Amino acid sequence: MIQVIGLHKTLGVEKVLCGIDLIVPEGGTLVVLGRSGSGKSVLLKHLVGLFQPDAGRVLVNGEDISGLKERQLGPIRKKVGILFQSGALFDSMSVGENLAFPLRESGMLDPELIRERVAEALGMVDLAGEEGKMPENLSGGMRKRVGLARTLVSRPACILYDEPTTGLDPIATDSINRLIRRLQKRLRSTSVVVTHDMKTAFHTADRIAFLHEGRIYFEGTVEDLRASEDPVLVNFIEGRSGESD
Amino acid sequence: MVLRLLRYVGQIAFLMVETFESIRVAPLRWRLLLNQVAEIGFRSQLVVVVTGAFTGAVFTAQTYFQFHRLGMDSAVGAVVAVSLFRELGPVLTALMLSGRVGASIAAEIGTMKVTEQIEALRALGVHPIDYLIVPRVLALLISTPLLVAECIGLGIGAGYLVATEVLGVSRAYYMTNMLSFTTGRDIKMALIKGTAFAALIGFIACEEGLKTANGAAGVGRAPTQAVVIASLVILISNFFLSFFLNIFFPAGTY
Repeated sequence: MIQVIGLHKTLGVEKVLCGIDLIVPEGGTLVVLGRSGSGKSVLLKHLVGLFQPDAGRVLVNGEDISGLKERQLGPIRKKVGILFQSGALFDSMSVGENLAFPLRESGMLDPELIRERVAEALGMVDLAGEEGKMPENLSGGMRKRVGLARTLVSRPACILYDEPTTGLDPIATDSINRLIRRLQKRLRSTSVVVTHDMKTAFHTADRIAFLHEGRIYFEGTVEDLRASEDPVLVNFIEGRSGESD
Repeated sequence: MVLRLLRYVGQIAFLMVETFESIRVAPLRWRLLLNQVAEIGFRSQLVVVVTGAFTGAVFTAQTYFQFHRLGMDSAVGAVVAVSLFRELGPVLTALMLSGRVGASIAAEIGTMKVTEQIEALRALGVHPIDYLIVPRVLALLISTPLLVAECIGLGIGAGYLVATEVLGVSRAYYMTNMLSFTTGRDIKMALIKGTAFAALIGFIACEEGLKTANGAAGVGRAPTQAVVIASLVILISNFFLSFFLNIFFPAGTY
């Protein structure tokens, strides 16, 4: 469904991505692992056209989106939804208005239908009945859930998760991991999860790609990763910095 | 320094082109526009009214003190009215708006930028120029000429009261001279300047908001930059605009 070919990106003076080749299989979940600052989020944002590559291509359903202008990306963004690291809720709107926003923008006018779709999406993330709350009154975990519900409400074929569990306590992290897995089973959507959290990776992945120094250093199944003896991968999985006390 | 200035002018020009393209191709969001007219226009009246009234009053008093020695008391009204229309009304309104409105636009858009809300808009298929910039710039273009007119009206009214009730200038001579020396050209100049300053405030504030980076520190810097840059640009461009517009609307002729 999504294919990345020879992707290069420089931000400022730093080469962030140096020739990424990646395929996200339809209906599966690809987890992109890597250290903080390794360019995972930059890669993810290329998949929905929020960044334009310096070189290379991004194909969504066979269509090259890398040269498209902002206004031409609208139809692609209806198919590919993204959950931002912070949730990125519109803080001037209530939870219900945040969820209704993409529906109204896509031309849905019937208030009853909008209310139904909003309630359904909130139900999926276990936040039924929270339409009236303002984002400032939500915890970090709830913000991510509402952000996810806002992504789901448009029923995209592909969902991108940018660090879905960063900054959450272990219980909230487990809850989000299970929610992602549940949604995958229920919606059968294609998913890309960007994370540095091994629990999230092992819990949600069908395949794992490891981003290191701007390149895909490893790609394979969860079992392949666990079995690997490559020191870079082993150190990352076991959280070893290699420094002494 | 020159390169930075040229780059900044280029960024503003680019934003202007994108905004006009959006007005041409995207449907107008009337609800957002009306909200912004209320926020930018309606709620700015207090600062504009107070500025206009007290500037008119004090300017009248100072002009009277000078003119009285020459026995030209009745010319005070004409000087105050023409000055308010041609210079003080548009410039003071624009400076007050750059402080009240420009700062708030830059802070709001800047906060949305650093909290990924602008990326979220884009990810949901909504062009940020359509949703954030067009309603604010149009609201400024609609509201500012009206606020300029309000500022001038209150300035002239306050000047009239000070001159006739406090300083004892003849009401009839004050009004007659003011009306005979103030022409439609002065009114047109005030409105054209008001519109030009509205565009400058809008685009500078939006640009400062959109390029905000570095979290809370960046959000703190954006409104300061917006107010400082907009105020300086208003004062400098007013000088050139006055000479340019004087070609079409010459002062001192009837």
